Order: sequence, then structure tokens, then C-alpha cells
Amino acid sequence: MKQKAVLIAPLIAILFLSGCLPTSIIDDVLLVEAEGVDYLGNEKVMGTITMPNYVENPNPGSAGAGLPTTASMLRHLSGVTYDGKSLVDRFQQSGQMPIRVGKIRLMLFNTAMAKKGLYKQIDLRNRDPDSPRDMNFAVVEGSCRKLLTSADYQTQIPVARYIQDMIEQNTEQNYPESTMESFMYAYYGDYMDPFLPIIRKQGDHIAMHGLALFKNDKYVMRLSENRVFTFKMLFQKFNQGVYDYEFAPNKHIAFKNVHTDVNYKVKNGNSAAPDIYASVNVSAQVRQAYPKSLSKASSPVMEKKLNRHMAKQSAQLVRRFQRKGIDPLQLGQHVRSYTRNFDGKSWPERYANARFHCKVDVTIKQTGISE
Amino acid sequence: MNDKIKPAHQVGPVSAFFIPQVMQIGIGYLSFQQIITKYSQQDAWLASLISGALSLGILWVVLRLLENERQFGMPDLFSIHTRIFGRRIGTILNLFTVTHVLLFAIMSLRSYIEIVHVWVFPQMSMFLFSLIFCLIAWYIVSGGMRTIAGVCLLSFIYLVPLSILTLFIVPHAQFENLLPLVDHSPAALLKSCYELTHVYLGFELLLYVYPFISNPREARKWAFRSALTTVYFYTTTLILAIAYFSQGELQNTIWPTVAYWKSVRFPLVEHIDIIAIVLLLWATIPKVCLCSWIIARAVKFTVPKIKMKYSLIVILALMIAGTTMIHSGLQVKRLNDVYATYGVLIIYIYLPILLFCQWIKKKRGRSAAS
Repeated sequence: MKQKAVLIAPLIAILFLSGCLPTSIIDDVLLVEAEGVDYLGNEKVMGTITMPNYVENPNPGSAGAGLPTTASMLRHLSGVTYDGKSLVDRFQQSGQMPIRVGKIRLMLFNTAMAKKGLYKQIDLRNRDPDSPRDMNFAVVEGSCRKLLTSADYQTQIPVARYIQDMIEQNTEQNYPESTMESFMYAYYGDYMDPFLPIIRKQGDHIAMHGLALFKNDKYVMRLSENRVFTFKMLFQKFNQGVYDYEFAPNKHIAFKNVHTDVNYKVKNGNSAAPDIYASVNVSAQVRQAYPKSLSKASSPVMEKKLNRHMAKQSAQLVRRFQRKGIDPLQLGQHVRSYTRNFDGKSWPERYANARFHCKVDVTIKQTGISE
Repeated sequence: MNDKIKPAHQVGPVSAFFIPQVMQIGIGYLSFQQIITKYSQQDAWLASLISGALSLGILWVVLRLLENERQFGMPDLFSIHTRIFGRRIGTILNLFTVTHVLLFAIMSLRSYIEIVHVWVFPQMSMFLFSLIFCLIAWYIVSGGMRTIAGVCLLSFIYLVPLSILTLFIVPHAQFENLLPLVDHSPAALLKSCYELTHVYLGFELLLYVYPFISNPREARKWAFRSALTTVYFYTTTLILAIAYFSQGELQNTIWPTVAYWKSVRFPLVEHIDIIAIVLLLWATIPKVCLCSWIIARAVKFTVPKIKMKYSLIVILALMIAGTTMIHSGLQVKRLNDVYATYGVLIIYIYLPILLFCQWIKKKRGRSAAS
């Protein structure tokens, strides 16, 4: 018995002594939820961080427990620093409590920053073990600082969660996935370029505003909102998107895609002008149509029109990418996958000459409940 | 020492499944994808299959060695060495193989500490952690082989959730990345195979444990099932890594498996990666336990006077010292390389030679008798 006590006593002592590691208790830290970076020029940036405020409104239930109901914690901080500086370290000096990156949700860059190049910021995020891979990146039209610190939004929930919710629900519909995961995939991967959604503040709310297409780490081209569907259609398998087609002046038809898939085939992948064949199948459910323009009988006609229109638009899109020398659709990756002994070095030149053939097959599954 | 192990100290044949399995899957699981795809990119899974097949072959060699030895006494590596090469050379060879076991233990413990330092607690004291860890190991090893086998079983059960976590990334995987199939030269594949051997290492510890497993006929089957499961496990993980990351990103990620965990999202548990890393402690405990048990047995075999109870304390102290002496991540990596080369040497070169020597000895013995 005595022997056991002799052994156990130091064990317990060690356990207690070594338990003294610095802790980060959620009530005693400021948990950064969003970071925004505005470029000021000359390698200087205006950084903004936001923290959620857990005790904003007087809480009738918390009689005497926890913080006083009138207390309000620090909600955001901004300041000038150099490009690539960890904002959490930068603002530690103004932290009411220790500032920690627990689960950062959002990283925003304004257009000037994105045009200047994000490579320092990306390295910072990729190096940090704390940043989750499902966080969202976005490009802001206007100022990130204004967007993150405005108090005039209709919603009461913290702005970081508001923006993340908005981006997420949109990626389930028209917008392609744009988490850190997919951004890093395309940024570090060969023969592809990343893209991010663009958001902007419109009065008392925030809205998605197209896609920012990157060449390596630099924002070079904006894809307007009505092209995003076509982009996503060529990029990945998805559903729930809505496409609006103006088949004659002021006459629209809009469909929701029940299912879309895309298949790529490549021929002569190592030649000077590779042939890339994309075949897209769209199952559509018509949500809205110009009166008398569409019925069960006439839907094959409309399908044909749509096929031609979407194929043309896809080809136009790819031609624009080729001219800019960017590859957000990861066509190079498809060519690599379907070509033996793929010649990667000469790919950038050959990409510009690649022939893109697109075949779209729209099937209108239903036209609504009225004739 | 030539007595048979008492049935009361033996473990069931299914342990031949859990013990090698748990020894094989460890910290290497977090990072092996990056090293292997360096040479053979999307074809690395093929290298994994080849390595796995080789490990099955070596397992056959191991079991053959042990079975041939059974008629002469205790079927373990120590007895084989001393019987074939005599007392003196046998002891030297024992030292040679047991050093690898010690290196294996130190490596597992130190790599685990490294992971905790990088991902969870940068401030954690290496000495105190390894001290507490070795106290646990001491407690388990004092319980004997049956307790160690039990811990192996527990470890296997606790690590099942981790492999299930990997499933969460399947929707994000792009299996097109695996194409074109077999687009690399055999030389590149062999290089990858070589890099892979160290993740498959660990099953050879059966060489020391075998006499403690009852019903050898069943046990052999379980050992092969164990090796097959490991091959399946590593190959699927590798295929997922190739599909989930682009090649450039994979080369940039030191711990791809933790990156999988980082992209899993649950509404309440925000950082699954940290929980998973803490759970991974269970991959390290049985390794250190079994290794220190093996070394203690080696000491007892060489100098029967020293009781395992006392040598164990010295061995664990040695492990703590070895672990705390390695300071930086670079040193961990170097030690890992030494360990891997050493392991390849033992497994692929030394063991087949040993089997050959055993055969020669048998031939000679027969010709001398006739």
C-alpha cells in the first residue's frame, strides 16, 4: 500500500504541475471571426478584424450571472500595417482580452488588394494551423473596413456569420464552391487558376456580385452575375441553380436546374492545339416563362434554342479566358488527366490555342402547373 | 529460458491481427501522402500496393522463420539468433535488431510530441509529457503480455472513428486527378515504394511476440489479414489524398491527413482536427508499451539475472532521455530517415538472409546426422 502511494503521489503532482499550459477560455478571449484587408498602396494595408459580441442585448434571463447585461465587448479593430502581417498579432496591443484565431470564418480582400496579388496573405493562411479549411474567402468591391464595421445592417447577427451564411447558401445554388479548400486547390495546383466570389455592400445589406477570376494570385477578370451559371455548369456537377434566358427582347424564360453534369474529353492533348470536348446535360424545371411562349408541346423547340444559346455562351466564356491566359475552369487539369506523358511546360502557350467544343443538352422536365 | 510460455500468459490468435495492425498505423499516417507522391504523383497508390504486397511477402518470411524454429525451442528472434550463430554473435545480432525497436519507440513518441507541438500546445513540456507517458507505459507493461495485447485491441477500436472521419472529404474529392493511370517509370514507382516502406514497418515485431500467441495456425491467418487491412487502409487514404488535393497543394502540405480533418465541419465541434490529434495518443501508447516489453525481454534473454521489472524502468528512462534530446522538427525528420533506412535494411535484406542461414543450418544438421 505504502509502495503504491509512493508511486502515485509524484504522478499526481506531475499531472497537476504540467496542467499549467496557457488556456483560451471562450469567455476570456476575443475570438476573431473575420479579417478584412484593404490595400493602401506601397505595400501598406488597412487591416480590420471583427469579433462576435456575445452580450450585445440586455438579457433578462441572466440575473447576476456572467457579465453585466449592459456590457459590450470590443467588436472590431482596424489599423494600418504591412502586407502579409498577421492581423491577430498586429491588434494584440489594442485587445481588451487576448485576441485568438479560433475558428475564423471569413477572409476579405478589396479589389485593389486582389489586383495587387494575394500571395503573402495566402501563405499566411496556409501556414496557420488554426485556420479551418472551410473558411470563406471573398473579394469586396469597395472597402472591407466599411463592410465589416458598418452598424446599419438589417440583421443583428455578427457580420462575419451574415456574410458566410450568404456565400454558403449561394454556393448551393448558382455560385461555385469557394472555400479556402477549393481556393488552395486551384492556387497551388498546376494548370489551373483560382476564383473567388465578389461581394459588396448595397445600402443596408450585402449582396453577391459575380466572380473574381485570378491569374495565379492576381485578380484579372470579373465574371458578371448572369454568366456565373454557365461557369458553374462547366465547372462542376450541381443543382438548384437558376438560369434566366432572354430568348427575344424583353421576353424571358427562367429555369431551375434539377441536375447538371459535365463531362470532359480531350483529344491530341500534347499537340499545339488540343481539342477539349465538353458535354453538359441539364435537367431543367421551368419556373417562369413569358406568357404563351412555352407549353409541353413547344418545349422541344425551346430546348433546342437553349442548347444553342448555352453552347455559344460557354464557348465565348472559354475564349475570354484563353485571351486573358487564365484557366479557372481547370481545363488544363482535364487535359493532363486524359493525356499520357502530358507536356506541362508548354501548356500555357498551347492553352491559348486549345479548341474548346461544347455540347449542351437541356431537357425541360416540366413547365409548371398551368398550360 | 527455453521453457514453453505458460498458456496463462498467452494471448488468443486474434491478437496476431491487432498487434501488427496497431504497430503499423501511427503518426506516419498523418504525413505519408506528401512524401510518396513526390516521385510518382498520381500513381503513388500503385506504389502503395506494391509496398503492401512486399510487406505481405516479408510477413511470410517472418512466419516461416518462426515456424521452422518451433521444433528447436522458443519461436522468437532471440532464440533464432543464438541457435544459428552461437551465443556471442547471436547477442550482437540481438542488439542490432533491438536497437531498431528502441528507435521505433522513441520515434513514435517524439513524432507524436512534434504533432502536438505544431497543432495543439506549442508550450507543452517534452520531458513532463514523456515522463507521464512512460509511467502509463510502465503500468501497462507491468501487467504483462496480455495487458499489452488488450491495449492494442483498445487502440484499434479507438482509432476506427479517425478512419471514418476521412470519409467526410469524399464529396470534395475529384477522382479525375488519378488519371492518367500508370504514367510513371518503374524507377519513380520504386522510389515511392522505398519511401513507403517505413509506414508499413512494425509488423515485424511479431518476431518477438509470436511465442506468446496461442494456436499458431489460426494466428498466421490473422497476421495476413492484418497486413491486408493495413494495405487497404493506406492505399485508400492515399487515393483520397490524390483526389482531394491538387499535386502542387499536396507538395505544400506537410500533414495532409490533418488537413482532411480541418475541412470537416460539425455545428458544435469546430476543430475536429484537435480532437483527432488527441485521440491519436492511442496510436502511440501500444507502440511504446510493446517496444519496451520487447527490449526488457531482450535484456532478460541476454542476462537472465536481471528481472524485467527492473530493466523496464531503465529502458523507459532511456526512452525519455532519447525523446527529450531531439529538439527540432528537422531532427525528428532526420531520425525518421535513419529509422526508415534501418528498417528497410532489416526487413528486406536481413530477414531473407536469416531465413537462408536457417535453411543452411538445417541442411548441415541433417547431413551431419546422416
